[in-house]
Amino acid sequence: MRGRILVVDDDVALAEMIGIVLRSEGFEPLFCAHGDEALGAFRAGQPDLVLLDLMLPGKDGTEICRLIRAESGVPIVMLTAKSDTVDIVLGLESGADDYIPKPFKPKELIARVRTRLRRPDEPTPEHLTIGDLEVDVTGHRVTRAGQLIPLTPLEFDLLVALARKPWQVFTREVLLERVWGYRHAADTRLVNVHVQRLRSKIEHDPEHPEIVVTVRGVGYKAGTDGS
Amino acid sequence: MSSWQGRVRRTLLLTRWRTVQAARAVVYHWRASLQVRVITSTLVVGITALVVLGGYLSDRIRDGLFDQRVQQLLEESARSTQGAQENLSASSVPTEAEVQALFYALIRALKASGSGEPEVWLRRSPGDVPVLVNDVSTADRSLDVLITPELRTTVRSDDLQRWTSVGIPVLDGGVDPGVVIGSVVNVPAAGQYELYYLYSLRPEQTTLSFVQRVLALAGVGLVVLLGAMTWLVTRQAVQPVRTAAGVAERLADGHLAERMTVKGVDEMATLARSFNEMAESLEDQIGRMEEMSHLQRRFVSDVSHELRTPLTTIRMAAEVIHAARGGLDPAAARSAELLTTQLDRFEDLLADLLEISRFDAGAAMLDAERRDVRDVVSRTVEQAVPLAGRRGVWLSVDLPEVPVIADIDPRRIERVLRNLLVNAIEHAEGRPVDVRLAADQRAIALVVRDRGMGMTQDEVEHVFDRFWRADPARARTTGGTGLGLAISIEDARLHGGWLEAWGRSGQGASFRLTLPRRAGIVLEGSPLPLVPERDETPVVASSLGAGLDPAGLPDLDRLGA
Repeated sequence: MRGRILVVDDDVALAEMIGIVLRSEGFEPLFCAHGDEALGAFRAGQPDLVLLDLMLPGKDGTEICRLIRAESGVPIVMLTAKSDTVDIVLGLESGADDYIPKPFKPKELIARVRTRLRRPDEPTPEHLTIGDLEVDVTGHRVTRAGQLIPLTPLEFDLLVALARKPWQVFTREVLLERVWGYRHAADTRLVNVHVQRLRSKIEHDPEHPEIVVTVRGVGYKAGTDGS
Repeated sequence: MSSWQGRVRRTLLLTRWRTVQAARAVVYHWRASLQVRVITSTLVVGITALVVLGGYLSDRIRDGLFDQRVQQLLEESARSTQGAQENLSASSVPTEAEVQALFYALIRALKASGSGEPEVWLRRSPGDVPVLVNDVSTADRSLDVLITPELRTTVRSDDLQRWTSVGIPVLDGGVDPGVVIGSVVNVPAAGQYELYYLYSLRPEQTTLSFVQRVLALAGVGLVVLLGAMTWLVTRQAVQPVRTAAGVAERLADGHLAERMTVKGVDEMATLARSFNEMAESLEDQIGRMEEMSHLQRRFVSDVSHELRTPLTTIRMAAEVIHAARGGLDPAAARSAELLTTQLDRFEDLLADLLEISRFDAGAAMLDAERRDVRDVVSRTVEQAVPLAGRRGVWLSVDLPEVPVIADIDPRRIERVLRNLLVNAIEHAEGRPVDVRLAADQRAIALVVRDRGMGMTQDEVEHVFDRFWRADPARARTTGGTGLGLAISIEDARLHGGWLEAWGRSGQGASFRLTLPRRAGIVLEGSPLPLVPERDETPVVASSLGAGLDPAGLPDLDRLGA
């Protein structure tokens, strides 16, 4: 599991330090220090994951997030110095998969990066059905009536986690562990925001979800009937 | 008998109760409404003035009517009497029968000629010549009592006219006012006679009654008019005040853009203008303060960002050096270790400082959810177990069997409990630490109790102060930022709850967190006592702790405020 990681941060010292840590773990870091150059660096480098600082000169983190998301499902992890609720939710809503609050330890950084790059190696082909969707787990494809629905890897993981056990209600904490790899209870807003994003792609009417159903006071489950 | 009395008493009580209620209602309206007060006072003064004036007027009118009529009657009767005297003197009737007949004719003539047909009596004065002619009268015999002996004596005493007021009984049982006028006439050959007239003053009475009725009617009209005028005037004066009060209330509710309408240039307009100016300045002030608070929050956020980025770099560098310390010389390796541990402290301190400044800026938000507090307690206690193990402290946890559901922000409550637990374990000196959770309808309480070195009263008072340490000498060795309890009490306040401390030298300390179960509940008490019961404290070893002096207990109200 070796990958290219684009580090977008205007603080050169921090970027270099992150580079040292990533390299020591065998990753290949790429750097970009300006918001306006981030998209170009992304296109040129074709990274497997993006580490993105929210406060940048030029385009800010959420804007870059949105631009990258528009053309790719590559995992994006935000580096946030602000612990303000609004900023984090804004970042997640613009397409980031996860966030790491500064100051973080090298181990935390590596753990988050590994989780997002982890590709479960399923030896046997697996096909799931959820609602009127066909999920090809090994091929990483979701189709409705033969038509491909593009999902980011994280959204795909979330959908698969729910679809594998359609009889089970998942609490947000369990989903955080399964999909994001958090051992301890973490920020449940991650789940809320990504369920919303997933619904906007797969539901016929995101206001009245039928595939990813909310169970009040508990969590989420796969819809029993695709209508 | 007794039941009858009971009923009467009940009725009396009920009546009294109703009276009291009515009186209360009146008093309430009296106190609550300026308008009611002004109208009532005006009416009271107005009615009193009208009654006095009306009484005086009706009195004067009555006296005037009476005097005038009596004067007129006296003149009339004097003329009649003179005529009668002349008539009698001129007659030369020899026989008694003829005199009698003359008398009859005379009184009939007198009655007919008088205004208002007075009754006429002709009475012989006693003690004179022997009875020759009988007394005559035009009146009913029942009226004879009106000619009293006293009157007759007075009339006989001289030749003048005498009069007196009398009440004339009438058929329907009432009494008409009247006057009796008497004088003396001399009858040739029959001696001295007294002539009496009885005039009824009924027409005057009717006039007077009419005038009084008109006066009363006018009075009532005036009172109604007065009431209406006062109502109008006070309404004009009170209405703007009411409007101002309403606007002020809206302002107090936070609608800062609320203003009064300014009409005209009178005093009310001045009031409205001043009021609006006040509201304007209030809005400005609050706006400025909001802006300052916003700037403060921005500043905190910016400082946070600016500090955290280099701190992250340092942290990562330190970890890398730390991981490679095996290859360093001993001094450098130890330095790497110190660097790492002190960075931890620095980070904690920064986090706590930011948290405190967030409270100070009013930017702390409660992220409350309905949770079983037992889960939160269990999880936090579990995290504290390793520390307790290292310090050789026995943790005893007492949780209710049933779920303790409350609206809490789990992150904050965990932080409070973690603070209390770490403090208790570090100060327990190897003795057990108790954690108790209890709940009632309104509140939940969490008590963390240690039996370590304890605190003096003075220390209890300062225990929630920022950067305050119980023992400055050993402060730096135990770690902690010195902000833990200051943050905890803010967390408790944010929930609308209390965090209180109790301590005794040598007996240990006790901290109690009390939280309302639902947002909006105002705490009145706590389900658990803060001060441990005496038999619960088996390790009273200090000479100071011989007994619990209730007067020496800390002022809980002040701590929990």
